[in-house]
Amino acid sequence: MSLSCLTRALRSLTISQHTLLSSQAAVQRKLGAQMPTTIVQCRGFLTTVPLEQNRKNWKKMEKYTIRPIGMKKTGGRDHTGRIRVHGIGGGHKQRYRWVDFQRLRYEEGKEDKPFEEKVVEVRYDPCRSAGIALVAGGNRKRWIIATENMESGDMIKTSGVIGRMAVLAKEGDAHPLGALPVGTLVNNLETEPGKGAQFIRAAGTSGILLRKVNGTAIVQLPSKQQVQVLENCMVTVGRVSNIDHNKRIIGKAGHNRHLGIRPSSGRWQRKGGWAGRKIKPLPAMKNYVNLPSITGQ
Amino acid sequence: MFPETSRCVTAALSPFSQTALWKDLSRCSVTHGPALCCHQPRRHLSVSRCLTAKAPPPPRSPREKVHIPGLEMVTYADRMHFVPGLAKPVSPQWERSYKDPRFYKSPPRHEMPLYKEKPCYIFNQRSNILEGVRQALWLTKTKLISGLPPQLLMAVEDPANQIPDQDERVQNAIKHARFWDTTEERPNKDNTALLTNLLHLCATLKCSHPATSRRTLAEEYSLAASWSRGEDLFQVRGRNGLLHNCMDPLPAVSGREEVAETAAHALESFYPVSPTIDLHKTQEYRENVNCTGFRADFPYPHAHTVYFLDGADTRYKLNREQFRAKMLMFTFGNALARAHILYGSVLDCPITVQAVGTNGRIFQFLVFQLNTTDLTGDHGVKNQVWLEGDVMLYDFAKVRPRIKKKQVVVPAGLAGYKPETFSKFLALYLHGAV
Repeated sequence: MSLSCLTRALRSLTISQHTLLSSQAAVQRKLGAQMPTTIVQCRGFLTTVPLEQNRKNWKKMEKYTIRPIGMKKTGGRDHTGRIRVHGIGGGHKQRYRWVDFQRLRYEEGKEDKPFEEKVVEVRYDPCRSAGIALVAGGNRKRWIIATENMESGDMIKTSGVIGRMAVLAKEGDAHPLGALPVGTLVNNLETEPGKGAQFIRAAGTSGILLRKVNGTAIVQLPSKQQVQVLENCMVTVGRVSNIDHNKRIIGKAGHNRHLGIRPSSGRWQRKGGWAGRKIKPLPAMKNYVNLPSITGQ
Repeated sequence: MFPETSRCVTAALSPFSQTALWKDLSRCSVTHGPALCCHQPRRHLSVSRCLTAKAPPPPRSPREKVHIPGLEMVTYADRMHFVPGLAKPVSPQWERSYKDPRFYKSPPRHEMPLYKEKPCYIFNQRSNILEGVRQALWLTKTKLISGLPPQLLMAVEDPANQIPDQDERVQNAIKHARFWDTTEERPNKDNTALLTNLLHLCATLKCSHPATSRRTLAEEYSLAASWSRGEDLFQVRGRNGLLHNCMDPLPAVSGREEVAETAAHALESFYPVSPTIDLHKTQEYRENVNCTGFRADFPYPHAHTVYFLDGADTRYKLNREQFRAKMLMFTFGNALARAHILYGSVLDCPITVQAVGTNGRIFQFLVFQLNTTDLTGDHGVKNQVWLEGDVMLYDFAKVRPRIKKKQVVVPAGLAGYKPETFSKFLALYLHGAV
């Protein structure tokens, strides 16, 4: 590989014409626009073969594990090496703890039964603002997002049953939205049943179950936007842990560097339309329900 | 009408065709020397990956192959090179005629010779069980009694059963292990030196207690014991610890009445956690394997004490609770394997095995008595274990003093030696020889 790169680079350096290249050009003229760029664009003078630097394999594991997985810094670069997100780089080394966002994941052979789990440990997670909890139940252990008052030794319940009566849910329990009373504080909201939680996972956040209509539920997100999802989407009751996350004092510029955030540009920029208060109407309710239309029936 | 439109089209396309001409010229300049200086090809001398690095294409789904009976595919096999339009020849899978361990591919799970339908849960030396001793008690159907048996400790209070200048010699043994044996600035406490020193010290009692000479030490013995508990199969397997073997079996610690009383004891449950959590679940195993690690004609068949070293193997780390659970499981495994060899399925008289665990400073003592080998149900007679955990032999052994706010908090050298810990060690050593 490296040898071929080197020969190609040296060939591009030669000033005298190359017999092979002229024949290639003739072929190209015959073929027209069939292969326009491959021959013209010569590869740069590469001295090393690019290594698989930004591998994503550390996240692509088949079997779930609670062991922290070592990961590599991306510096905001994507798989092609271009900067995808600015202002990322450096920071303390972090390890990834695989959080199971699908709370209603039944153990093998124990499907469709509500189950209980015991909280073994509640701890800090470098990869997110909220804390995480190690829960054990049956024959397995997994990480979940911790709620506000979760402590080790607690019992938390997970149930997929929607009964006729609304349940009196404890904090940390997970129920479908249809089973909860209106006005409950919820977190870890799914958009589709069984997809895994995608909303309300940051530290100290919570949503409110506003109303239940016709097999769907409407939840107000922390941004005050309302979403409509199916009533068998799972949520966790309560508020996400680490509620003082927004009150922490960074203190010095170096602290942000420890967190892997690079300084923004110090250049003076005129304040434009982005500055100042804006009064906008509330965004329309977001709908994640694909109900069959009446005309289609 | 048509010629007119075609003229319009050519007029509209002419600027594009000009640019196309320029491009062609520049291409020619690459091949036919520097005809136009201003259109030199770019030579990317700067090293950049962005030019050629592309997102990898998504994996293609393989094309559906249709086999029509009676039709033979025309392949380019006889041409020996790729020909467009002809099918790719299919050659049979090559199998090497010799055995190469580098390219060994294991057969699928259900074709393995040891494959069983029923899974087995295996406890090995690096198993880190979540509930610790409670879980080990359930797995071995054992009643826990905290503290060592009093009759063992009584025996050591007699001065005849003590080593002359005991405290001084033990302190010298500690100092040897922590200071004199090494040249490091901060010596490591988890090495074998302290344990071997203490064992050597105990072995000086051979003259006064001739029964202790009927023992031998075995290192790196491998153990396998299997039993069924509830509906599951369990095994203890592994290779760890230092085993003190004996010619004579250890006497039972508790009498028949006490053993009968254990039937009333109820085992602790830890719902919602299953007792099999963190054990290695496998479907490839040997059934009913019981092996003490020694041949049948070994002159020292009875296990006396198993010595465990915490932190000797750096590949895994156990908390103290889990370490005690490991001690209990392996002691039970030793007793059970011996019981199956001696008595078969029904146990005639109890089997006692002891265990000592240490990390170089903190000691765990354990005496296990196997009363029953019928472990399937929760009812009936239970096994017994006397456990004394987290006993310190000394508080600090420091090469340099620890100084806080210009005050010496911990002096250099050995500090806070506790003689009663060694007497417990000696009591377990002399058990069966007094």
